[in-house]
Amino acid sequence: MNENMKYIGRTKQTGIYIGKLFRMFVFQSDWKVIPMAAVIAAIVCSVIGATMNKTMEGTLRGAFALSCICIWNGMFNSIQSVCRERAIIKREHRSGMHISSYVAAHMVYQAFICIGQSIVILVVMNISKVKLAETSFITGSSTIDMAITFFLITYAADMMALLVSSVVKNPTTAMTLVPFLLIFQLIFSGSFFSFGEKSMANKASNFTISKWGIVSMCSVGYYNDLPMTSLWTAFEKMKDLKIEHSTLEKLDADREIVLILSQLEGYKMGDILDELKKNGTDEIIKKKCGENAQKAEYESNSMVIEDSWSNLILFTLLFAGLSVVSLKFIDKDKR
Amino acid sequence: MQGNFSLINFITTCVGFCFFFKKCGVKVWYGLIPGYREYKLSEIGNRKSEGKSYLFYSILSTIAIVAFEISSAMDEQNGLTDPGILTQWFALIYVIIIVPLLVYSIRIYIGVCERFGKSKWWIVLWIFMDWIVMLFWSLRKDFQPSAAEVIEDIPDSGITSTGSGTELTVNITDRTVKTLMSSRTLLKDIHLKVKPGHMVLLLGGSGAGKTTFLNAITGYEKANAEIELGTENIYKNYEQLKHSIGFVPQQDLMRGSDTVYCTLSDAAALRIPKSVPVAERKQRIDEVLDIFGLGMLKSSLVDKLSGGQRKRLSIAMEYISDPKLFILDEPDSGLDGVVAKSLFKKLREIADQGRIVIVITHTPDRVADMFDDVIVLAKDHDRTGRLTYFGSVDEVFSFFGKDSFEKILTAINQKEEGGEGRADELVKKYNSMMQSKTVGGETA
Repeated sequence: MNENMKYIGRTKQTGIYIGKLFRMFVFQSDWKVIPMAAVIAAIVCSVIGATMNKTMEGTLRGAFALSCICIWNGMFNSIQSVCRERAIIKREHRSGMHISSYVAAHMVYQAFICIGQSIVILVVMNISKVKLAETSFITGSSTIDMAITFFLITYAADMMALLVSSVVKNPTTAMTLVPFLLIFQLIFSGSFFSFGEKSMANKASNFTISKWGIVSMCSVGYYNDLPMTSLWTAFEKMKDLKIEHSTLEKLDADREIVLILSQLEGYKMGDILDELKKNGTDEIIKKKCGENAQKAEYESNSMVIEDSWSNLILFTLLFAGLSVVSLKFIDKDKR
Repeated sequence: MQGNFSLINFITTCVGFCFFFKKCGVKVWYGLIPGYREYKLSEIGNRKSEGKSYLFYSILSTIAIVAFEISSAMDEQNGLTDPGILTQWFALIYVIIIVPLLVYSIRIYIGVCERFGKSKWWIVLWIFMDWIVMLFWSLRKDFQPSAAEVIEDIPDSGITSTGSGTELTVNITDRTVKTLMSSRTLLKDIHLKVKPGHMVLLLGGSGAGKTTFLNAITGYEKANAEIELGTENIYKNYEQLKHSIGFVPQQDLMRGSDTVYCTLSDAAALRIPKSVPVAERKQRIDEVLDIFGLGMLKSSLVDKLSGGQRKRLSIAMEYISDPKLFILDEPDSGLDGVVAKSLFKKLREIADQGRIVIVITHTPDRVADMFDDVIVLAKDHDRTGRLTYFGSVDEVFSFFGKDSFEKILTAINQKEEGGEGRADELVKKYNSMMQSKTVGGETA
């Protein structure tokens, strides 16, 4: 035997597997994930379009929904990709395939898919006339900042799914785990459910892709500079309410405030709101509400965005690394 | 009051288990260890894997209870009137664990009922009042476990094969799988030598260790063994020698989205040394395409191939590196007689080029004339794979006193598998035959 006999290294093997994956993209149904991303984005944008990056609530809702789309897309890109061909991987590993090359090929291929999906979401947002911020902190274009954020969320979720797919033995188990992973990402995103600062849930939220995605999107969208409409909306719901002496008497408020309000006696709430709208006071109220509801974590500056992106990149690398470790044990699979 | 009831329940359960274990020949004091006693019970009911799972969950539940108690105590210390979030979590975990514990205990009880030949309705009582059932089953003389057949141990053959040239020399002392709580010998005492150019049939019933044997000789799953291909030790030089061994799995494990040419080209890239020039590699691919009759299909997608074509491609993927040792696990599964026959002819041609070809097939009689040698593996009374015969096809029928491979399989298969259960007897016969040959001056 020739002791110096050498076989192709990891880089060339990665190239071979990238080729295989792209052939799958063309000949199997893998390409369908791109149009699917467009359909999902269109549905979501039709709902969030009116208020995204215009009001605080709309931005938060929009960021949450877009983050959900990206996580969904990413997870479904990879969730079955490894487990469905586990027996093939085992055979190829036996023949000299390096697991790291296999995972690296997946990383390259999935990056291509995730970029495609991020562009598609942006295009749909543009068609749906979802407003984007006018200035940017990192790249000079808020569209590119947003695109990078979409890509990083999708890619991190993709790598998380790749890890799950590498650990489980079959597609059924992988698909069973998807809802649990999604629920964890959504509940612990930290946007809709407020957790105590020192609570376990708050710490857990730091380990979610959704949280850093939302932070990044809110930061890019100048969340803290936006008006808050919740109070105004609440007033509008009371537009038919007539201010009467008996109502004011029931108020457990300061005497001076009651006196001021008593001047409005006889008016309907709707009339007062109309009056405020005429001279633009409504905007001032919304703005003031916003100023009082600012969140330090959504501060619009390059540091917040860079931190979020770094965390997402860290998740991606961690999941990919763990996938390699997990697949190293593939030879132990029972028949 | 509740504490007293728990203590009484614990004592009565221990007593019940101890009596039951005494009856079944298990160490009585195991009945005092919760969790582990259920594991021992699973051994009685031939449900060992369920027993392991039960043990795992019972350890987990113990941890959850301890954590719950500690957390509750801390809550009290902190002046909390309601349980804290951690306490609630631990309680929830414990409640969740109860479900698998119940499921696995049911599985274990089913095994015990089967072993005792009793109705599965007993399980209802087992769940709610296990100690009463244990005591009742222990005291009743007509409740007896079905006894395992006791057979005297088979002595080792004491043979060692010696090789030269490019032969495959196999000396497996044993192949044992050890887990946390048990150890099982899958193969034992297998010594043989296969000459180059020989096509060998590997015969054995299900669970006889055929695939384990193949994995052991290829170095994929190492055994306590010395395996040599020519003068090279496969285990010591596995990383280099694995490219000289072609292993074709039973299923056609290929990607449907690749073309035939791509599949072979990628297989060549992985298996052929990089020092081989690209032109030579391409030539080899074309050559292999021709050998396996795939030339006309090279642009076809694997998904579009027929069963026989896929099988040929799967074999070609391993053959591309021109292996010295070529192993095929049921290459004829799913193929009709004509296609299978032509495939075996191809394998015969490969062997005739000086390679060792080892084949597992479940329909050996239709291709019996293609083989030079036969390896027969059988499960002994311990369910360990043993070498029952290795030698030429001409002699195998006279050794077993049968006229077909199918009948040989029937002879070595266990009685519960519909066989004659003669594996132990035949292993002994083979060992003594080999010992007498060794004494007479021949080697294995």
